[in-house]
Amino acid sequence: MTEFTLYTFLAASLGLIAIGIGGVILSRNLFRIVLALSIAEAGGNLLLVLIGFRHDAIAPIIEPGRALTTMVDSIPQAMVLTSIVIGAGVQALALALAIRARASYGTLDMGIMRARMEADINRVAGAESAASLHAPASSSTLLTERKA
Amino acid sequence: MNHSVLALVPALPLLASFLLPLVPGAARRLVGPLTLLAVAFIGLNLWPLVQTEPMVLAVGDFAPPLGITFYADSVSALFVIAVALVTLVLWPWSGSDAGNLDRKQSLTLILAGACGGLAVSGDLFNVYVFYELAAVASFGLAAGARTAAAQIATFRYVVIGSLCSLLALLGITLIYVQTGTVNLAHLAQLAPLKLHNPLGLAAFFMILLGLGVKAELFLVNTWAPDVYATAEARVSGLLAGLVSKLALLAVVRLLVLIFPLPEARDALLLLGMLGILSGEFAAFRARDVKRMLAWSSIAQLGAAFVAFAIPGPAGLAAGLAVALHHLLVKPALFLLADRWGGSLAQITGAARNSPVSAGLFVLFILSMLGVPPLPGFWAKYLLLSGLAAQPEGLWWLAGAIILLTTVVEAVYLFRVIGALYGRDHTVTPKTQSATAVIGSGVFAAVLLAVAFSAPLLALPLNRMAVQMADSAAYIARVLPPVLPGVAP
Repeated sequence: MTEFTLYTFLAASLGLIAIGIGGVILSRNLFRIVLALSIAEAGGNLLLVLIGFRHDAIAPIIEPGRALTTMVDSIPQAMVLTSIVIGAGVQALALALAIRARASYGTLDMGIMRARMEADINRVAGAESAASLHAPASSSTLLTERKA
Repeated sequence: MNHSVLALVPALPLLASFLLPLVPGAARRLVGPLTLLAVAFIGLNLWPLVQTEPMVLAVGDFAPPLGITFYADSVSALFVIAVALVTLVLWPWSGSDAGNLDRKQSLTLILAGACGGLAVSGDLFNVYVFYELAAVASFGLAAGARTAAAQIATFRYVVIGSLCSLLALLGITLIYVQTGTVNLAHLAQLAPLKLHNPLGLAAFFMILLGLGVKAELFLVNTWAPDVYATAEARVSGLLAGLVSKLALLAVVRLLVLIFPLPEARDALLLLGMLGILSGEFAAFRARDVKRMLAWSSIAQLGAAFVAFAIPGPAGLAAGLAVALHHLLVKPALFLLADRWGGSLAQITGAARNSPVSAGLFVLFILSMLGVPPLPGFWAKYLLLSGLAAQPEGLWWLAGAIILLTTVVEAVYLFRVIGALYGRDHTVTPKTQSATAVIGSGVFAAVLLAVAFSAPLLALPLNRMAVQMADSAAYIARVLPPVLPGVAP
């Protein structure tokens, strides 16, 4: 592997992060959001591996009888293992939540789901939905009090 | 006391959380409270020891900067105690079914372990790992209400949270590329040469936004109102009260040790000011008590960011006061909002049925507004006098914003008091649950104790701030200078 390939990978990891973040912001579908998240995390992990990588080095394992030569940095590799594990767990959790939410609301569209969630919260709280943006929260209470 | 006891702070709750489902019978319900009491005991023993000299543990005897370092000064010890006791007050004592209760207790223990870990971590990557652990546990707890609304709110929380964690990881990567270390003391040593440049600042901003998710920093706090409105009351209390403070503490450690730069302080100041403004005005417009409390929590954490932005020990003292006050008040208010979380119409006249809880509610609200002699007054006093002592206009603007938004705060909080003591015979407001009254009663007792001993507490607070601000001592304690002729 040469320097050139290293830079290609570097550009690829930054590209993956950009695609992932863009995907999370732009998609409305819950499943696509999770996919975009995993792409962004893959980019981050790739970047982490690359910063410890040297194209002329060997794996960081010391064996008896082998001369010490340049080795790749093992700390980013340890970090990336942790980060992969965390990422996998969080994505599984996000998927599980998406499946549950799909079962209750019957859709995967983030916009519709947020509106339903908003309505649910308002219903539980006994607050009317925000029909007018200019009415302060208490105006209705004051009015009903005056009527009574 | 042996230094290795520091490792027990995160290890004990984590171990207990995984062993909890294996304990048979009635003893299972005792595992969590006993573990938390043990952690509180460790914290209380730690407190006098670390007053003069902070305690350092090199895990596995790998000397810093190579191995994992745990570091405890008086601020860490205080937060260890707070983590254990607050979690104990907000402990899930009962649940709908046994399996569900087991899961909740396990997750709460993981959260306590991760928060304890954040308090004593001495390296950047451990901060990241404990932060993620706290994040995953809080995702599980937030979704624990099992309603569809809670699931969507948690889904959004997960997406924002993990995207920002990625950002924090990239920030740590940037720091590692430039310095080759993640040990905080070593980084503090190398920072003036290698990190006080645009790239280092970019890394700090990335980590600030990454950790800011849990600390309800402006820009990345959009999850908070929905999650607090849908999650169980004690979970909201834990997230708003406890987890946010530990995330804040991690950011402040970075600021003090590695990035004591005006640019970094300005970022904290500006984001904090925007947090105060957006939080207070959104709380003013909120239609139900729970979301009102959520937005006001964002505003108060904004005030804490503003306070920590003030350079020197004065800023740290003010920040600690604001943060600790919020830690006492917000969980108690969320506990009371469990039954009184709806619209004002639903709680009209609630004071007649539950006079004690209504009295507690008023006490917390008065303290939040900063009415003397309650602790909230002293927190706001320290914050405002710290801001006024600064020479530039932006700091004074922050002070003006805090004073002006206090008026807004007063309007929406007195609206709640008005509803509680109002009269409306058409609605029968819910009476408070025993757990909420007892839990918030404990917080109220501490609040009153602090109010009566406020003059005595100024000295320890200042000492904590001075100790925390002394980055040279931190470096010297973790990386003792190697004397010539002494074998390392």
